[in-house]
Amino acid sequence: MKNILELSHVSYLYSEKTPFEMQALHDVSVGFEEGCVTGIIGHTGSGKSTLVQMLNGLLRPSEGQVLLNGEDIWRKPKEITSVRYRVGLVMQYPEYQLFDETVRADIGFAPRNMGLSEKETEERVREAAEFVGLSESLLDKSPFDLSGGQKRRAAIAGVLAMRPEVLVLDEPAAGLDPRGRQEILGRLQEYRRERRASVIFVSHSMEDMAHYCDRLLVLNHGEVLMQGTVSEIFCDAEKIRSAGLFVPQVATVADRLRRAGVPLPEGLCTVESVSRELLSLLGKGGNAQ
Amino acid sequence: MKNNTFGQYFPGNSLLHRMDPRMKLIVTILYIVMIFCAKNVLSFAFLLLLTVFLILISRISVRIVLRSIRPIIFIVLFTVVFNIFLTGGTGEPLAAFWIFEIYREGIVRAILMALRVIILITGTGVLLTYTTSPIALADAIESLLGPLKKIHVPVHEFAMMMTIALRFIPTLIEETDRIMSALKARGADFSNGSIVKRVKALIPILIPLFVSAFKRAEELAVAMECRCYRGGEGRTKLHVLHYRFSDFVWLFFFVLFLVSVFLINAFSPIKIAY
Amino acid sequence: MSFIEAEHVSFTYDDGTPESVPALRDMTLTIEEREYVAVLGHNGSGKSTFAKLLNLILLPTEGKLSVAGHTVSEEMSEDDVFAVRRQVGMVFQNPDNQMVATTVEEDVAFGPENLGIPHPELAERVSGALECVGMSAFARHAPHQLSGGQKQRVAIAGIIAMMPRCIVFDESTAMLDPVGRSEVMATMEKLNREQGITIIHITHYMEEAARANRIIVINDGELFMDGTPREVFSRAEELRSVGLELTQSGELIHELRLAGMADLPNDCLTEDECVEAILRAYRARNGGAS
Repeated sequence: MKNILELSHVSYLYSEKTPFEMQALHDVSVGFEEGCVTGIIGHTGSGKSTLVQMLNGLLRPSEGQVLLNGEDIWRKPKEITSVRYRVGLVMQYPEYQLFDETVRADIGFAPRNMGLSEKETEERVREAAEFVGLSESLLDKSPFDLSGGQKRRAAIAGVLAMRPEVLVLDEPAAGLDPRGRQEILGRLQEYRRERRASVIFVSHSMEDMAHYCDRLLVLNHGEVLMQGTVSEIFCDAEKIRSAGLFVPQVATVADRLRRAGVPLPEGLCTVESVSRELLSLLGKGGNAQ
Repeated sequence: MKNNTFGQYFPGNSLLHRMDPRMKLIVTILYIVMIFCAKNVLSFAFLLLLTVFLILISRISVRIVLRSIRPIIFIVLFTVVFNIFLTGGTGEPLAAFWIFEIYREGIVRAILMALRVIILITGTGVLLTYTTSPIALADAIESLLGPLKKIHVPVHEFAMMMTIALRFIPTLIEETDRIMSALKARGADFSNGSIVKRVKALIPILIPLFVSAFKRAEELAVAMECRCYRGGEGRTKLHVLHYRFSDFVWLFFFVLFLVSVFLINAFSPIKIAY
Repeated sequence: MSFIEAEHVSFTYDDGTPESVPALRDMTLTIEEREYVAVLGHNGSGKSTFAKLLNLILLPTEGKLSVAGHTVSEEMSEDDVFAVRRQVGMVFQNPDNQMVATTVEEDVAFGPENLGIPHPELAERVSGALECVGMSAFARHAPHQLSGGQKQRVAIAGIIAMMPRCIVFDESTAMLDPVGRSEVMATMEKLNREQGITIIHITHYMEEAARANRIIVINDGELFMDGTPREVFSRAEELRSVGLELTQSGELIHELRLAGMADLPNDCLTEDECVEAILRAYRARNGGAS
C-alpha cells in the first residue's frame, strides 16, 4: 500500500527560543496509507492535535519533513494553501468556528477562497451539505440558529466542500450522543468509499476507533508508541494501558475468554467480530438448538 | 501562546516582587509624581539613578526592560524632534536653516523630555507590571478603593470583572488561535493583501469569538450562581493582604525621594532647566 | 421526605410565547439521599433541563418540585434559593467555563467565600477539598496549566468545599480523555461511598451509567425508564429506539441471544458477568464433545 501522507523524523517545539519552550513532538515518523481510515489515539498532551496540524501545513515542523504523495509540502512555503485544499482539516468543536450569515455562505467559504466560480461553489455547497445530511431548507438559515448537531455537520461540510483527498478530523464526535456519533463516523467511512479518499481522525473513544478504523497510531508524550492495524494494536492491552488508554471492553472480554480456553483468534475488538467468531465456534460445537 | 504567564509579569522573588501590591501602587504613584515634578538636570540625574537602582533590584534582565521602550520609540523620537526645533532660546542659535533655529535650550529640553518618557516606562514597568501578578494588582485596587463602597461605587464588581477577564485571557487567546487555524485550513489568508482586505479577514475570527465569549459568559454566570455567588455582600476572602514593616520602609523612602526632588528643583546649583 | 420529589413537573422554555418549547413533561420521581443515579437520554432529550431544575437555575412551569426539604416556587425568598443551592452542587460539561479565579485554590475557595465562611475554616475547607480530589499539589497552579480531567476535579473540589448533600454532574465527562474520565468517575464514586453524597450523573457513556445504582432514561422530555442498571439494560430494543445503546458487554450478549443463544441471561452488565455467561454457555455446548 502506498502512503498518501508521511511524516519523516518530525519534531516540533512550541514557543521556540523562549523560556517557555516545550517539545510537543519528538522524532515522529509515520505513514498514512492511501484509502485507509486511520485513527490517532493518545492521552491529553500526547501531541495528537499538534500532529494533526502538521498534516495540512498549519504548523511547520521544527525538524523533519511532511510528505504528501512523496513531496515535501514545505518545498514552496508560499503555496502551502494549495496543500490545505488537498488535506482538509476539521478542528476540534468546529461548530464554534462558524461565522457567516447563512449556512450556504459558510460552507462556500473554502470554495470561494479556492477561486471557484459562483456556480461551481454553489454545486459544491449543495453536494457537501447533502453528504452530511443537511437539508436544502437549512442552507439559508443563519448557522447560529441550527441545533448543536446540525452546526457540527455544517462545519464539517465546510471542509468537505474542498473535496480533499485526505480528510483529517480532530475529535469529530466529541460530546455527541451515541446516535450522533454513529451518524458522523459512518459518514466519514462513506466519504472514504465514495471518493476513494483517505480519512484520518482523532478520538478518545476506543470503541469507535475499533469500529471505524483500519489502522491506528498511538502517541505517547509526543512520540509514536505503536502503529498498525486495529487488531494488532488492541492485542497489546498492556502497552495501550501504559499510554493512559484502554482497549474496548469487548476486546478484554474476548481476551479473557481466550485465556479461559475458548479458541478465539487474537485481536478481536468489535462486538460484531467477537459475536461472529463465537457463533461459528458454538455452531461447530454441536447443539445450537 | 501557551505560556505559563501572560501579560508582562515575570515571576520572581526580588525585593520588588515581595512588596505588598497596594504599596506598590502607592509608591508607583509617588514615582510618577516625582517624574513630572523634576525640573532641572540635577533632579533628572537623581531620577535616572533611582530608576537604574530599581531595575537592578528587580532582578529582571536589563534586555527585557529595554525592550519595553521599543513600542514607544516613535513617541520618544517625536518628542525629541519637536523639542529641538520648537524651543526658543536666549542667545545665539547653534544652527539655523529655513524657518528653524536650534538653541542650546532646545537640545537640553529634548534630552530631558526623552529621558522622562523612558524612565517613566521602564520604572513603572519594574515597579508594577513586571513584578506584580495581574491578579495581585486587581486585589490591590479592590482593597485601595474599598472606602469608595460607602458611596456606592461598585468596587467589588469591578474587581470581580478584572479577575474574570484575567482568568479568561489565556482561554480566549487559545480560542482565537483555534479559529484562525480553522480558517487557514479553509484557505483564509491573514498575511497578504491590502489593509482593507486584512481587516475584512478579521471578521470571520471576531464573529465566532464573540459568539463563544457570550456563551462562555452565560455558562460562567450560571456556574457562579450555582456556587451561591450573590455579589460582594457577606463574602469572605481566602487570601487577605497584609502590610509588612518593609512595605512602610519603602513608603518612607519614596516620600523622601519625592521631597528630595522638590529640594533639588528649588536649590539646584546647576541652573540648566527648561 | 425524599431529598428530591417531583410531581408532574413540566418545564417549557419561553413559556407563553409563540417560540415556547416544552423541554420536560409531566415528570414524577423521587430521589433519596445517598443515592447514585445516572441519567441517560439523547442530545436535546431534556436531561440538562432536569439538572437545572434541581438547583433552581430554572423553575418548573408546572407541577410540584421539592429539593432538600424546600418546596420550589417563584415566591421563594432569595435566602431559601441559596439554601438549596448550597446543598445541591453542580459540575458542568466544559471545565473552562466554570472556573472563576486565576489559581486553583482561589477557585475552590470561591463557593465557601460566597457563603461567608470565616478563617481559619475557609482555608481548611479548601485544603480538605483539594486533598479529597487529589489536587493538593496544584493549589497554586493557574487553570490553563491543567488537563481537562484535572480541571474537572478542581471544579468538583469547588463544590465539595461548600459541603453539599448532593452533586449533579451535567455531562462532566464528555470532554475528557479516558484517563480524565476515569479520574472523575473514581472521584464521584468515592464521594458517594465515603461521604454519602447523593450523586446524579448525566452522561452519554453507557459504561459509566452501568456503574450507578439506578438509571433514569429521559426521552423527548418524558421519563422513559427508571430502574436498576440491570433492569434498564435488559430492555435493549427500547433503548435503541430512543437513540441509546448497551454497554459493549451487553451488546455482545444481545447479539448472541438474537442469533439464537437464548440460554444467555439478558441482563449482563459488567465484563465479568459477560465472560462468565459466555463461558458457561460454551462449556455447556462443548461439555459432551471434549
